[in-house]
Amino acid sequence: MTLVDFCNLLINGTIEGLLIALPALALTLVMGVARFPNAATGDYMTVSAYAGIGVQALGATSIVVAGLGAIAAGAAISVVFYLWVFRALRGRPPVASLVAAIGVAFFSRSMLTLFVGHDQQTFNMPLVRAWNFGGVRLLPTDLYVAAIALIAMALLFALLHLTPIGRQMRAIADNPDLARACGIRSGRVLLALWAVVGALCALGGMMFGIKAVVSPELGWELLIPAFAAMILGGIGSPLGAVAGGVLLGIASELSVPFVGPSYKIAVAFALLLLVLLLRPRGLFGKAIAAR
Amino acid sequence: MTAYLVAVGIVALIYMLLTIGLNLQYGYTGLINFGVVAFFAIGAYTAALLTLAGWSLAPAFVVAMVAAGLLAYPIGLLSLRLSDDYLAVVTLGFSEVVRLVIQQERWLTNGVQGLPGIPRIFQTLGIGEYAELATLAVLVLCNLAAIAVMLHLVRSPYGRLIQAIRDDEVAVEAIGKDPRRLKVQVFMLGSGLAGLAGAFYAHFITYLSPDQFLPLVTFYVWIAMIIGGTGRTSGAAVGSLILMVFLEGSRFARDWIPGVSEVQMASVRLALVGLALILFTIYRPQGMMGRRQ
Amino acid sequence: MLLEISDVRGGYGGADILHGVALEVGEREIVTIAGTNGAGKSTLAKAVIGLLPKVSGRIAFDGRDLAGQQVEDRIAAGLAYVPQVANVFPSLTVLENLKVVPNVRDAAARIAAQLDAFPALKQRLRQRAATLSGGERQMLAFARALLTGPRLVVLDEPTAALAPALVRQVFDLVLQLPAQGVAVLMVEQRARQALAISDRGCILDQGRVVLAGPAAGLLADDRMAQLYLGGAH
Repeated sequence: MTLVDFCNLLINGTIEGLLIALPALALTLVMGVARFPNAATGDYMTVSAYAGIGVQALGATSIVVAGLGAIAAGAAISVVFYLWVFRALRGRPPVASLVAAIGVAFFSRSMLTLFVGHDQQTFNMPLVRAWNFGGVRLLPTDLYVAAIALIAMALLFALLHLTPIGRQMRAIADNPDLARACGIRSGRVLLALWAVVGALCALGGMMFGIKAVVSPELGWELLIPAFAAMILGGIGSPLGAVAGGVLLGIASELSVPFVGPSYKIAVAFALLLLVLLLRPRGLFGKAIAAR
Repeated sequence: MTAYLVAVGIVALIYMLLTIGLNLQYGYTGLINFGVVAFFAIGAYTAALLTLAGWSLAPAFVVAMVAAGLLAYPIGLLSLRLSDDYLAVVTLGFSEVVRLVIQQERWLTNGVQGLPGIPRIFQTLGIGEYAELATLAVLVLCNLAAIAVMLHLVRSPYGRLIQAIRDDEVAVEAIGKDPRRLKVQVFMLGSGLAGLAGAFYAHFITYLSPDQFLPLVTFYVWIAMIIGGTGRTSGAAVGSLILMVFLEGSRFARDWIPGVSEVQMASVRLALVGLALILFTIYRPQGMMGRRQ
Repeated sequence: MLLEISDVRGGYGGADILHGVALEVGEREIVTIAGTNGAGKSTLAKAVIGLLPKVSGRIAFDGRDLAGQQVEDRIAAGLAYVPQVANVFPSLTVLENLKVVPNVRDAAARIAAQLDAFPALKQRLRQRAATLSGGERQMLAFARALLTGPRLVVLDEPTAALAPALVRQVFDLVLQLPAQGVAVLMVEQRARQALAISDRGCILDQGRVVLAGPAAGLLADDRMAQLYLGGAH
């Protein structure tokens, strides 16, 4: 591997990682507050990406409008399934919500394929040429998606740390009973949380769709990598999810010359196992992963 | 018609083996295995590759079962260090990786082209149509044996211990038994059953390809277990039967409803599986006929 | 009476822990619930605040029956609660622990007033509550509970796991509350010290009230002292 190859892999890995961090953030927020691994995260991404495609198909040429449509769809589907399914399962063991989340994942994906079909779709994007710095290539599109992912993260951190509802989310994550005893009404807070989770999934789905293609398996295939990123960073730690995502992205890109591009999921899985065995609380997390 | 019913019966019994295995893991010990299909696939491919290489069926089936059981060992060990929901994600990831390996390692599995020409069970006996009936009979025996082993386990002091693990791990430790070893053993046993089911499947369908081993299969088994009632011995039979009626019924439904393509029907099936998972966990966590706690 | 409890039974879903408890707290009164370990003291505190999953009987606050009212409603009605151990949000800063409380009128002014009352907290506003000592956490929990301007504070073992010097300090804090218009219902292990600052007390044993009355009377009752107050001091 030459230095130029290495730089290219590093850049690609960082960008992939920033995108993976979006669903990883969605997972970690749900894990921190509702306390189960939301296996429907990937399919929220898929549905939202298709919603974005749909908005473009309706005649909106602007990718920004498509993105807003995707975010609205992501927030809506996430809130609807919270109200219907996950709210009813509060107070039950996490496995109930987990099994139901698989059901939600299958159900939303099937509704999508039933009405939209299995065809791959692409976003209408102006074709751009990669910048070439002596062999180190950089696609402007990649730069945009990375920038948008970073802006989304900044907004999320601002929400969590600077707004009353964000503080209340963190309080509920810390201690739900104490939050109630302070008079925090969790209903409103959880609605906001699930809307944010849906919006994060939507952005992730859109960005991956822009980078490659939109297919019904788009999100499901990112579930294990997103989960690995969350574990790597430490469960319930938003900062950790971002760091974990970037580390995972770089690691899986750097593995490509050795194991080939098709084994990316396997690399994510191996990394996930390694972290669970060696440092179950991840890089930034509290010790809740281990028994 | 008889041939059709026999064929459906065989598939139902294969699912029943899977369901008994999962019921042992989840219903009795609380181990959340979201990777049932991985052990099913390992059993199927192991047996198929061996018989294609000239082995006779019986030893190939045994090796398939052992292989699936042994591959469960490291995951079982891992389960001791993880809380339940993490084991779920790890096993789900494992099943996707197994499918990926089957897809990629063409030299071994022939990749997406698949493995054709796997010998049928009792093909060499020259008993023609009765071969399937005989297969059905053997599967019934295997299921009965699995149930017998399970009942034995459940009723033995060992089994009470297993159930005690589900309810209170600390208490089991307190009476000086090692719940960890039991957990790993149960996980291996359940996965071995899935491997055996895979071997039967391979030699009944006679063709294997990676897309027969989607995570959806895992959740077919979960549905069968949940419908039948987790932790109920009779649940596996009832659940797999209902699952079969549903899967087959959805095939017939397409003949009656004009203008529905197979792809659309697949979506409907997936939707119904998803819906069942949601509705059962919310409204009937104890299963269709269950009454628990 | 501000708080009236009669025939309260309940528990966490399994067997009942409380078997018909009756108790009253008047305006600006300090009432101590004492008793042995496992007598149901903390369970009773949870029943009052609404955190007990299964509860029957009558709990009335300010003349209104609290049955069916959620914890959040009870807080809004003028109750406040300081739980025993996990009494602050560890990953929030000291300031955030106070700002997180919703529906506080003149929040900024009230927070400033509470911080003036607890100067130790004032120097650690930007620190995570996880870094505080046990005594500092208790102060933060008090400050947070008083933010909403409650008329009755339920304290679950406020001096548990505190050094003796701090115990005195916490009881001094409690003693100041009636003057601010706040009544106190306090669960305490250190029954003697708690009763010494209380108006009235009641002693729980196995989910039942075995003795209730003016604090001074309870302290003077030799037999009860032997059984429940850890002998004569």
